[in-house]
Amino acid sequence: MSTRFAAALRAVALLAAVLAGPALAHEGHDHGAAQPPVSKTIAPRGEALSDAFELVAIPRDGTLTLFLDRFRTNEPVPGATIEVETPDGPKVATATTDGGYALPAPWLSKPGRHELLATVTAGDAVDVLTVAVTVPDPKVAAAAAPAKPAPAQAALARLSEVAHDVRERLTAKDPALVAAVAVAFLLGVLVTALARGRRGAPAVALVAIGITIVLGTAAFAHGDEDHGAPVQGAALIEPRQTTPASSDLAQRLPDGSVFVPKPTQRLLVLRTTMTEQGSFHRSVELPGRIIPDPNASGVVQSSVGGRLSPPPSGLFPRLGTKVRKGDVLATVTPPVQAVDVSDMRQRQGELDQQIAIVERRVERFRKLATTGAVAQTQLDDAVAELNGLHDRRAALDKIRQQPETLVAPVDGVVAQATAVAGQMAAPGAMVFQIVDPNRLWVEALSFDALTAAQNATARLADGRALKLAYQGTGLADRNQAIPVQFAVQGDASGLRVGQFVTVLAGTDTEQSGLALPRAAVVRTGNGQDVVYEHTTAERFEARPVRVEPLDGGRVLVAEGIGPGKRVVTQGAELLDQVR
Amino acid sequence: MILPRVTLVAGLLAATTVYAHETSGQHGGRVADAGKFHVELVAKGETVDVFVSDEGQKPVPAAGFKGTAILVVGGKPTRVPLEPADGNRLTGKAAAALGDSPKGAVQLTGPDGATASGKFN
Repeated sequence: MSTRFAAALRAVALLAAVLAGPALAHEGHDHGAAQPPVSKTIAPRGEALSDAFELVAIPRDGTLTLFLDRFRTNEPVPGATIEVETPDGPKVATATTDGGYALPAPWLSKPGRHELLATVTAGDAVDVLTVAVTVPDPKVAAAAAPAKPAPAQAALARLSEVAHDVRERLTAKDPALVAAVAVAFLLGVLVTALARGRRGAPAVALVAIGITIVLGTAAFAHGDEDHGAPVQGAALIEPRQTTPASSDLAQRLPDGSVFVPKPTQRLLVLRTTMTEQGSFHRSVELPGRIIPDPNASGVVQSSVGGRLSPPPSGLFPRLGTKVRKGDVLATVTPPVQAVDVSDMRQRQGELDQQIAIVERRVERFRKLATTGAVAQTQLDDAVAELNGLHDRRAALDKIRQQPETLVAPVDGVVAQATAVAGQMAAPGAMVFQIVDPNRLWVEALSFDALTAAQNATARLADGRALKLAYQGTGLADRNQAIPVQFAVQGDASGLRVGQFVTVLAGTDTEQSGLALPRAAVVRTGNGQDVVYEHTTAERFEARPVRVEPLDGGRVLVAEGIGPGKRVVTQGAELLDQVR
Repeated sequence: MILPRVTLVAGLLAATTVYAHETSGQHGGRVADAGKFHVELVAKGETVDVFVSDEGQKPVPAAGFKGTAILVVGGKPTRVPLEPADGNRLTGKAAAALGDSPKGAVQLTGPDGATASGKFN
């Protein structure tokens, strides 16, 4: 066998051995290897998951605190019965004020790994959960703490730091170096002084020794940094050792995930949902405006010019007044022109004159008709003429008095009112506008021809969403777009005519992806859209995603997260603030 | 030259046995992990048998062990205390007949007082 082949075989064997290693520890097999603590400042805890529940167990000061939540929604489960197997038989945990369950557990103070068995009964759901809790040995923890940075690593760090220090000193003309040079110079001066003259030598020597000692120590104190002080590297700083009782704080872990203890999750009201793949109709966003339903709104206009006066009730309907179809809202009295007045006077006089003549004729005919001198037909003609003249006279009187009444054309609310008593209304001027507030439409401008615009929703500025029913599309161009009309379905209260809305209209093109509520997507500081995945009971991981608009309340996650994941839908914004 | 071959064969064998045991155990029951042990749960009628073995599927003597099985039967949890029997078997009797492969969990307390539990779905 050639050496090369042997080497290849060896490599394969090695690979197999390596692969067999993890294969042995197949899914869920950690065989007693305690889960590494998420952070040094977080108390030891254990968690268990099932289809229905998520259980977190925290042993602390001889008490086992349990937090029970729904698996899918992360909703706390109050009023559940949690029975924990203890060495003294099964014990039921009692509910605490902060929404958890507590159980006195003195047996848990023993360091080591404890595997607990909890039977959870909440309503109809029954589940048996196994929770592993590792209680650290306080002595071991204390001994291990100072030796935490590996010695070799620490020495390396120290070495690099000293080298760096010297380099820095040289460049920065450190006073210690300068002092050392000065001392050498001073000593030289003293020595020459001593060599030149011996007078006063002891005094000079004394001064020289004194200066040397003082400066020398100063120089040394600066030259050697090590006084047993800890190395001050950012990466080597030991996390503060706090008491486990007060240390459970929401925090961002070094790997970027966010740790949020259960009590904090309850405070932030974090809720999740399970992502599901689905196909949805793509929607387009259109700018829109609320308009009144043309069949449920109307205007009140005067057909003649005239003076406005209130209806018989004495008051004009004001804004917001409810009116019914046929209600009299105002009256218009047409003014009579001066020339007309003289005309009418003339006609009046003529009529009065004729009436007087015909009246006398009728009287005369009536007397003669009895004698037969005048035919009965002549009397009848005269009476008819008299009646006609009376009618014409009466109509002439009435036309000066009767005004035009303005009536409401539809049921609704007065949306616009310009009526002032005594005002002169121009013919065709709008006096009132009446709108039915429960029947409003939305007119949107679309740049594409919407074919089957079903499933349309309108989003208001305050985040409210309205369901819309497609009514029709215009064909006439308006600002390079065509108007599309929708009827607002359901509750339309709080809307006003002319309000701007964003219309999301469904189109025919179908998209597949994961639909998530708009609030689930958070924009991070670098402008990236992320969702928070609930990976374990108290851990959330940010997942960068690509989102596309879907409708008023939801967005479509096209990429970044798969189906079957728990994603935070409520409180994601707060989660993003955890540092 | 022999050692790599042995490693290769052993590795492949280990991988296959691992896949085999996920589904069923040597006694026809279901196998789950409980701490550093593997436990096999066999529920037949009212009897609950639990077989304890180590990571390498070698039987572990049941003497000194104590156990509790909590099984969900008809939507209600049933607690079955387990006592060591022959070999690596612990056994207990439930009050009512257990259905086919009931959901639940088994907790074992070893001779050293350490607890281990395994979950069966």
